[in-house]
Amino acid sequence: MSHTVLVCDDAIFMRTMISDILAQAGFEIIGEAETGREAVEKYRQLKPDLVTMDIVMPDMGGIEAVREICKGDPDAKVLMCSAMGQQALVVEAIQAGAKDFVVKPFQPSRVLEAVQRVIG
Amino acid sequence: MDLSRYAALFVTESREQLGACGQALLEWERRPTATEPVVTLFRAMHTFKGMAAAMGYANLTELAHRTETVLDLLRSDPSSGREIADLFFRIVDALEQGAGVAVDGGDPKLDFAPLLAELDEASVATAPTGSWAIPVAGAIPPVATPPVAASRLIQVVVAPGATMRGARAMLALRKAEAFGAVSALRPSLAALEQEEFDGRFSFQLAGSAAAAQILAAVRSAGDIVEASIDAAEAERVTEAAGRGRQIRIDLRRLDALMGHVGELVVARARLMELAETSPEPELRAVASRIARVTADLHGEVVQARMTPVWQVFDRFPRVVRDLARQLGKRVRFEVEGEETQLDRAILDDIGEPLIHLLRNAVDHGIELPAERARQGKPEEGQVRLSAASDRTTVLIRVSDDGRGVDRSKVLAEAVQAGLLPAEAGEVPDELLLRVLGRPGFTTAARLSDVSGRGMGMDAVISRLRGLGGVVEIETRMGQGTTFTLRLPMTLAIVRALVARVGDERYAIPLAGIAETVEFHPDRVAALEGREAFVLRERLIPTVRLRERLGVTGPRQPGRQPAVIMQVGERRVAVVVDALVGQQEIVVEPFDAPQGTLPVFSGATILGDGTPALIVDPAALV
Repeated sequence: MSHTVLVCDDAIFMRTMISDILAQAGFEIIGEAETGREAVEKYRQLKPDLVTMDIVMPDMGGIEAVREICKGDPDAKVLMCSAMGQQALVVEAIQAGAKDFVVKPFQPSRVLEAVQRVIG
Repeated sequence: MDLSRYAALFVTESREQLGACGQALLEWERRPTATEPVVTLFRAMHTFKGMAAAMGYANLTELAHRTETVLDLLRSDPSSGREIADLFFRIVDALEQGAGVAVDGGDPKLDFAPLLAELDEASVATAPTGSWAIPVAGAIPPVATPPVAASRLIQVVVAPGATMRGARAMLALRKAEAFGAVSALRPSLAALEQEEFDGRFSFQLAGSAAAAQILAAVRSAGDIVEASIDAAEAERVTEAAGRGRQIRIDLRRLDALMGHVGELVVARARLMELAETSPEPELRAVASRIARVTADLHGEVVQARMTPVWQVFDRFPRVVRDLARQLGKRVRFEVEGEETQLDRAILDDIGEPLIHLLRNAVDHGIELPAERARQGKPEEGQVRLSAASDRTTVLIRVSDDGRGVDRSKVLAEAVQAGLLPAEAGEVPDELLLRVLGRPGFTTAARLSDVSGRGMGMDAVISRLRGLGGVVEIETRMGQGTTFTLRLPMTLAIVRALVARVGDERYAIPLAGIAETVEFHPDRVAALEGREAFVLRERLIPTVRLRERLGVTGPRQPGRQPAVIMQVGERRVAVVVDALVGQQEIVVEPFDAPQGTLPVFSGATILGDGTPALIVDPAALV
């Protein structure tokens, strides 16, 4: 059975790109979220195997969302999607419970490596 | 069983083991009473013996075995072997040579008898008690495993090319925390967050979880090139883990792969050009997909070619030691940053220039002990070789605390060569290298047979520039000299701006470009006798490429762009006819034909198949 993924990003472009990369690798995209709040709600609802999480989003940022998600499920597998120069934020997200990160611009191979590490 | 299939593997691996022997010997010389170097030497010799035996090389096996036996005796009292360190060096050399011969022509006919005799003599002399016996095979006492401590030191190295190494380190820390409390983090958390570290960090981990499990967890953070726990125990674990993860590839395969990828990258550029003007949406989609995959493939191949610099640095301690002995000098040689990674193609090419710089440091830099003492310096001179990387470049430094370059000699040469007016009182720093790099120039009073052979400083500099590197020198009379080489981490493919002058096109690596602006012929002024362009109230010397290259032919009327190139703090405005666009180019280093202007560092084939020369920013700025 393929792993299920929730993709969280406020940009449609990024969601599409991540979804494409993961779908081509055989993952099942079961949901998308545009805000941190939506991400937390959908996580509870859908119980995905993996979450990809943008850091900067309106209405609750990615770091806050990771904290909320991990509060309810400490084993949640959240992969942060960051841009260059956001290292301090990535570190904060890791402390909040994120399991790995990838840096834009995405190289599909790097994304899939990170996903494999998270899913284990 | 056909052993010849394993010959190549035997050569590489035995070289590694013998390299380890050489390292251990040097370490032993430095710390004659320490046990670890002897243990390491013993272990490497033992491994080599096993491999030689498996290949059926009887005399190599015997020499290794007899050496091992003597080493075993020395383990209890390492200092008693000080006298015979030289013999061990010769044995390691003989084994290395023997291994090569054995692989080429079956059984080596090398005669090891003299070495064996010396070993016999030495083993009598070094016997700790007076009565000793060669222990029977298998009687070697096992190295005691240290008891599991309450807290263990974990050392981790994040891959030099990785993005956000600080965050990666944090991730590894979190993984380790699952096994116990983390303390004594070096460097500090704040430094990690700001990525103010070279990729190495260490910490203490409490608890008694199995080392293999901890290391596997730490490695699972990704982009971790090294992780180790304490000493003895960890070594075995990483060795075992490393073996499972890696395969050996013939280097020529990797070179060929890179060559194909390079062609693919060039073809991709052409494909994208064609696709952009095509009305077929499907073609455009396929083209962009191919572009993405090509970029990924390129990234992977580059990564696969990254090699830690120790693979070249490892032979240097021996070079420095032998040379110092030969010259009657005392030199302490320190190496730092051996794990720094570089494209193998670059690494292969810097070995010889580096040896030249090191020889130079020992021969011309470091003074004889008596002279050093007279000047109040420690009798033992110091030569340091260090490597470090930031995002895209690797810095390699060779420094010594010797006498420094004699500026009066340089001045005389500079005046004679017309580089400076006769009344000039001193040589400015930026001219130093140009003078030192003149063919045939030497500051040595006599041409010694040491630094005199091999390549000259001019060749060193041009070789490094050919690799896209920049060379800097810092020198103080009586205090020493430091050469700094700034090299691209990877060669082969770089992004470049393509500019047109007359009918020719030239590629300018983006790394050397600060910006491009429009050139206004009415906005020029004179700066130290050169034409300078006024940009945002600053004067930038201009180079009109048309004139520099001697292009005649009419120029199309219209605006002229200027490319602002920057190396370090210095800038220059290069005026061209037109800018064609950006593209990735495959760098082919070339040996410039006689008479070529020293403005180019290489050549490339552009996307449409036409050749272009690559402008060397360092030569213009």
